[in-house]
Amino acid sequence: MKRAGFIASFLAPAVLLYAALVVYPLIQALTFSTYQWRGVSAKRKFVGLENFQTLARDNDFIRSVTNNLGLLAGAGIVVVAVSLIVAHLTAGPGRSAKLLRGFSLVPQMVSLVAVAVLWQFIFNPEGLLNATLRGIGLGTWTRTWLGDPRFALGSVGVAFAWYAVGFYALLFGAGLRNIPAEVTEAAALDGSKGWHQFANITWPMLWSVKRTAITYLVINVMNTFALVFLMTRGGPDRASEVMLTYLYEQAFQNSKFGYATAVAVGNFAVAMLLSLGILFFLRKDPTSSRRSA
Amino acid sequence: MNRAIRVFFLILAVLPLAWVVLSSLKPGTEILAAPWALPTTLRWDNFGKAWSEAGIGKAFLNSLLVTVATLLILMPISAMAAYVLARFPFRGNRTIFTAFLGGMMFPQFLVIVPLFLLLRDWHMLDTLTGLTLVYVAYSLSFTIFVLSGFFESLPDELAQAAMLDGCSDAGVFWRVMLPLAKPGLLVTAIFDAIGLWNEYGLALVLIPGAENRTLPLGIANLTMTQQYQADWGALFAGLVISMAPVMAVYWIFKDRIYEAMLAGSIK
Repeated sequence: MKRAGFIASFLAPAVLLYAALVVYPLIQALTFSTYQWRGVSAKRKFVGLENFQTLARDNDFIRSVTNNLGLLAGAGIVVVAVSLIVAHLTAGPGRSAKLLRGFSLVPQMVSLVAVAVLWQFIFNPEGLLNATLRGIGLGTWTRTWLGDPRFALGSVGVAFAWYAVGFYALLFGAGLRNIPAEVTEAAALDGSKGWHQFANITWPMLWSVKRTAITYLVINVMNTFALVFLMTRGGPDRASEVMLTYLYEQAFQNSKFGYATAVAVGNFAVAMLLSLGILFFLRKDPTSSRRSA
Repeated sequence: MNRAIRVFFLILAVLPLAWVVLSSLKPGTEILAAPWALPTTLRWDNFGKAWSEAGIGKAFLNSLLVTVATLLILMPISAMAAYVLARFPFRGNRTIFTAFLGGMMFPQFLVIVPLFLLLRDWHMLDTLTGLTLVYVAYSLSFTIFVLSGFFESLPDELAQAAMLDGCSDAGVFWRVMLPLAKPGLLVTAIFDAIGLWNEYGLALVLIPGAENRTLPLGIANLTMTQQYQADWGALFAGLVISMAPVMAVYWIFKDRIYEAMLAGSIK
């Protein structure tokens, strides 16, 4: 009995705070999305699933979903490829490998606000990138990167990739260390090395890390907010709009709190569906059959 | 060959940040006019301007206050909950643990509207107290998850010996287990602190006014105001001021930080 009191008293502060500020708003989010509501309680009107029906026909929302998916495909491939290379480069002993490991995570430590400001200056029409292009005689390649609907989203993707690579390199690095040395040694004895070894041994054996990395990528990209909000405001003309900047606009500029919450639920649903799809797609360990054989 | 590629990626990671530091020492007009040139005169007064006139000093202190206050509440209550969840198999234990874990699954923007209205009703919108409480609540999941791992790995014998010596359950925790878990507490706190120092989305919505801006809000605001003056020196100095503490902490604790970053992602 004394122990029950001890357990309850130790759990209480965390549980109460979590219930009030995490669980309760989470339940509210689901109910809010069924209201037409501008934040004044008297004017709350139950509309059932109407917000979601509107959402499904809202071209600006659909645009933001496709932008999110485009960002995921484009930046995702770049991030996975580059972080795999960096992971290999940091795997060895030696000073330069250790230095790279240390410095590749430095962008992760910077606030996304700082990342956005920095890359704004790089992509500025008079900025670092165009100045460098002019300096090396590629003046015709200069663009108004963030102001051009064809390049705005891609430019944000570059900033995201720069920020994110360090973490995924760390993740893949841990995966590489988990591959038993006997496996790679045996493969090397059989004459498998370089690209052949990577494609046939390393890549399949990174299976569980790959799954983790892709799930993280889905979540990170679907949660993109600060970079787009600060670099382009979703523009020009919604060319780089993502779900969460659209949510912010609906909620805190248009005061459509009910509709904004429906956007939030939609965002969560897209992320969940994608994650579950990945877990299903990568459910089988491709090395298990070989191991048991 | 590999070394050259390593140097290439190293430069890619660091060069943009080195450019920020270089620009923070330049006269504002030279930053875009001659981006790669060394400063003609070293403008240390950019830092003074950023700190006082541009409001970065105030934002720095706000961020410091919020981060420290959050950790002071977060670490004890998470440690207590994690300890009980890790070492006492009472009924409902797994349900509570899973509920805490679930908090890491959804984006904070899913609840941003209800959270905004909740704080508004509690008259805590635009206050550092409100932001601190929200930060504690949204850091609980990760912190409890990592700390319960540390408490699980501690040996049983010490706790039993202390019980035999007449220690109460709470006494065992405060006098024996908590000191043993110190390394775990330190890594987790450092990792939480970095995230809190850099947090933007929640602060943007929950701190609409100017008085209580945290550093990320201050920097974002400075970008907009400086646009009209075209004097970027103070902005870059502000960026350096906001990044420097995190960089120092990262470089001192980087091997421990790697562990925290991988916690939960590698099984």
